[in-house]
Amino acid sequence: MENRIKKVMSNVFNINVDSINNESSPDNIENWDSLKHMNLIVALEEEFRIEFDDEEVVDSMNYALILNILSSK
Amino acid sequence: MKYSEIIKLNNDLEGVINSPEYKIVILSNIMVHQSKDICEYLLRTESVNAKVLLGEYDNIVQDSAKFQDANAIVIFWDTYNFIDGFQYKAESLSSPEFESIVEKIKTEIDLVLCNLKDIPLVLINRFSSLIFDQFSLSNNRINKLVGRLNTYLEEKCGENVKIIDIDKVISRLSIKSSIDLRYYYSSKTLYSIDFYKKYFEYVKPIFLSTTGKIKKALIFDCDNTLWKGILGEDGFDNIRIYREVQYLTLQLAKKGVIICLCSKNNPQDVDNVLENHPDMILRDEHIVVKKVNWSDKVSNLKSISQDLNIGLDSLVFIDDSSFEIGLIKKELPTIKTFQVPVKEYEYGLMMREVSNLFYSPSQTKEDIQKVKIYKKQLQRSEDRGRVGNIEDYLRSLGLALIVHVDDLSQVSRIAQMTQKTNQFNLTTIRYTESDIKKLVEDELKTVISISVSDKYGDSGVTGLAILDSDKSAIDTLLLSCRVLGRNIEYKFMDIIIDFAKNKDIRVLNSQYIKTIKNQQVSDFYERCGFVKIDEVDSSSQYNLHVENYKNKDMKYIRIENGK
Repeated sequence: MENRIKKVMSNVFNINVDSINNESSPDNIENWDSLKHMNLIVALEEEFRIEFDDEEVVDSMNYALILNILSSK
Repeated sequence: MKYSEIIKLNNDLEGVINSPEYKIVILSNIMVHQSKDICEYLLRTESVNAKVLLGEYDNIVQDSAKFQDANAIVIFWDTYNFIDGFQYKAESLSSPEFESIVEKIKTEIDLVLCNLKDIPLVLINRFSSLIFDQFSLSNNRINKLVGRLNTYLEEKCGENVKIIDIDKVISRLSIKSSIDLRYYYSSKTLYSIDFYKKYFEYVKPIFLSTTGKIKKALIFDCDNTLWKGILGEDGFDNIRIYREVQYLTLQLAKKGVIICLCSKNNPQDVDNVLENHPDMILRDEHIVVKKVNWSDKVSNLKSISQDLNIGLDSLVFIDDSSFEIGLIKKELPTIKTFQVPVKEYEYGLMMREVSNLFYSPSQTKEDIQKVKIYKKQLQRSEDRGRVGNIEDYLRSLGLALIVHVDDLSQVSRIAQMTQKTNQFNLTTIRYTESDIKKLVEDELKTVISISVSDKYGDSGVTGLAILDSDKSAIDTLLLSCRVLGRNIEYKFMDIIIDFAKNKDIRVLNSQYIKTIKNQQVSDFYERCGFVKIDEVDSSSQYNLHVENYKNKDMKYIRIENGK
């Protein structure tokens, strides 16, 4: 699951998979703006065939949190 | 393909296409930013160097004046967002309030069309009320409004404007899959990723037609593609013409699409059908290039593209065989391929999907003349080199021959093969089940049957050789045409020779008896290293010193024992 999340993030933000760590967030990924954030959410929903609820969309603001949310699904 | 993969591949394609940038601006009164990568990707894979820009949210009128250098503009103008909450407010508005909104939209349509009159291509979606009207029995206000606006739009729009029926795209996907109301309510993002994939796939031919990348030629296999049945096996009288498919193809031909054939068949058999079959719709005059022969389809399709002097990426190829489709996809990936659906009733719809690829905004006299023009242009040799890399493809298939020897359980299938196989059949000796049973039980006869499997599946029992140790001869050798084109026949000969060696045969005899259907194997024994020793009328005799036989060494075909 970790790898699949990182792969999606790397595709959406056009960055290297290896550069993604627990602290990866809009603060250190230049490309991660609000529109790209929606793209990320939609891409993750498609990848894992799940739906984020509104709070989760807002909360998914770094890699560790995304992993956490997806693990609970 | 998943959205994140599209984003990735689209990034990879950025800047690598060697053609002028094709700038598309998408204007909208809803959020549509996910359309960008999907639209770019679908066009970039067709070698259009697309660059998509998005207008500001809900700024259609202002933006229409801003992007005068765009090659194309796409407009998503969502009815329910004319004013915030229109889907639930509309029925409660007073008549003057409602009419003032209508007038505002009409004025905006006028402004937008006027601003965009010099843009070469404008796609504007028909106004739709499908999503919130899906349960409504009565013709409500929004529904009527949509009708009025669409009529207005049609009257006002110029030649450069294409009105896109977005409801078609939604219906094909279902409303539920096309939209995501969660994001509509939270961020005015209405459409789903799946919707954008379908939408841009649907409108893609319009872009391609303006960039010169449109498909030009449609190439058909014959057996089980233009008709049901195998001409060489079932015969002229027993094939059934796919009339709907042929009618639709004829309409394409009349529009200027170049229709070609690429089929493994005897050319005179196919010509006979084109000329004389009473049910055929397509005739020789409609076909521009015919590659009807026993060469591989990669060579034939390449040669069609050379003959017509158009790129491989202008070709669309239809075949019923997953083997052939797989081969073309691997070796000539720029050719768009379609496989005839297993369910015959789906074929007509598939043909309509194919037809859409040949979209052309208007028809010219040249289009109608095109068949004649191309036919004149073509006076070149049919014969072009075979392609070396077919073997790569065969290697990727995981081919295996499953060999059965004197297998009583297969008697009826074996007899049936001797009765029905005509094309790859060296002697065409017909046996009944009881004949075969005797041969199986005869110690001096070896009945070798094979089935072929690859990654697409198992062909069932499709090949037969009968070795006669008494006469040191191959009595029967046949293969179903389903498994040809894979070098199976040569591997089979390796197997036969091994059996001959085991039976202590030193000089192996064989013969070819000519029939009207088996000319493709007339030199098969010579191709395998046999020497012709006699030829009387329609039969040729061969022999082979077994120790001189050169094994073909095709390691990519495995041999397995049936049991």
